[in-house]
Amino acid sequence: MEQLIKLVKTYRLSSGLAERLRLAEAIFHLIEPDLRAFVFSAIKPHAAKDVLQEVLISITKSLKTFEGSSKEQFLAWCYQIARRRIYDHIRKKASDRLQPMPHDELLDLVDTSEQAAPMTAADRHDLEYALSLLDSSKPECRDYLWNHYVIGFDYSEIAEEQNLNYDNVRMKIGRCLDEAQSLVS
Amino acid sequence: MLGRSPIPRFLTMPNKHTDAEAALKKLGDHLRLGWAKKHPVSDKSIESVKNTVREQWEQEQITERPSKPAPAPAKDKSRKPVEPDREG
Repeated sequence: MEQLIKLVKTYRLSSGLAERLRLAEAIFHLIEPDLRAFVFSAIKPHAAKDVLQEVLISITKSLKTFEGSSKEQFLAWCYQIARRRIYDHIRKKASDRLQPMPHDELLDLVDTSEQAAPMTAADRHDLEYALSLLDSSKPECRDYLWNHYVIGFDYSEIAEEQNLNYDNVRMKIGRCLDEAQSLVS
Repeated sequence: MLGRSPIPRFLTMPNKHTDAEAALKKLGDHLRLGWAKKHPVSDKSIESVKNTVREQWEQEQITERPSKPAPAPAKDKSRKPVEPDREG
């Protein structure tokens, strides 16, 4: 993924069509799986396909205007675009909001990840612990823990989305984590 | 200060959240890996991206192409030339 920001920077400077096509393809090969996982974890599959296309098109259109300089900034920027498209869709059709991914589905994805990167016994222990933290949380807390730790949104992004202030979100997430830990232990 | 560490106590105490936070972040990494493995990048996605790049590039060519010069206004030489539109 370190090459991602190099590709984005080169894309911003490129003017030839062939070069832009090559760079765009390379960039989206790296980020599409993450974005797809994100969109499909928020919206029902029949609608998620269209929303994903909208997300990819929006990112492509704005790629030349991205001003950050790190991979993290670029991914945060992509997720911000994705989140806006998702909420635009949910505002129009609330019934398309997906319920949290069930435990078995998460476990299946974890098992599949082992094919890409071998897992130690400690890794498996950590992942089972993480799943039990999510399983033991109340729906609101599960959403906070999921969005902050699993998806990777920072406090300010969650605050903006929830219309709360930064410290409020930080404390809520801390309390949710405390509660989940006490329930699991 | 004998017997007291100059380092504030809260800085030396282990973060009780650390293990849980690390485990949840690790879960995120593995879910993304699993998702990428299960659902390779679709041709449709890449085609959408390429079509958008093409459209945008063509639009830029139209915008950048110098337009046919209008007949020079012979009488009003004091007018300043209009600047081309800038991209947002």
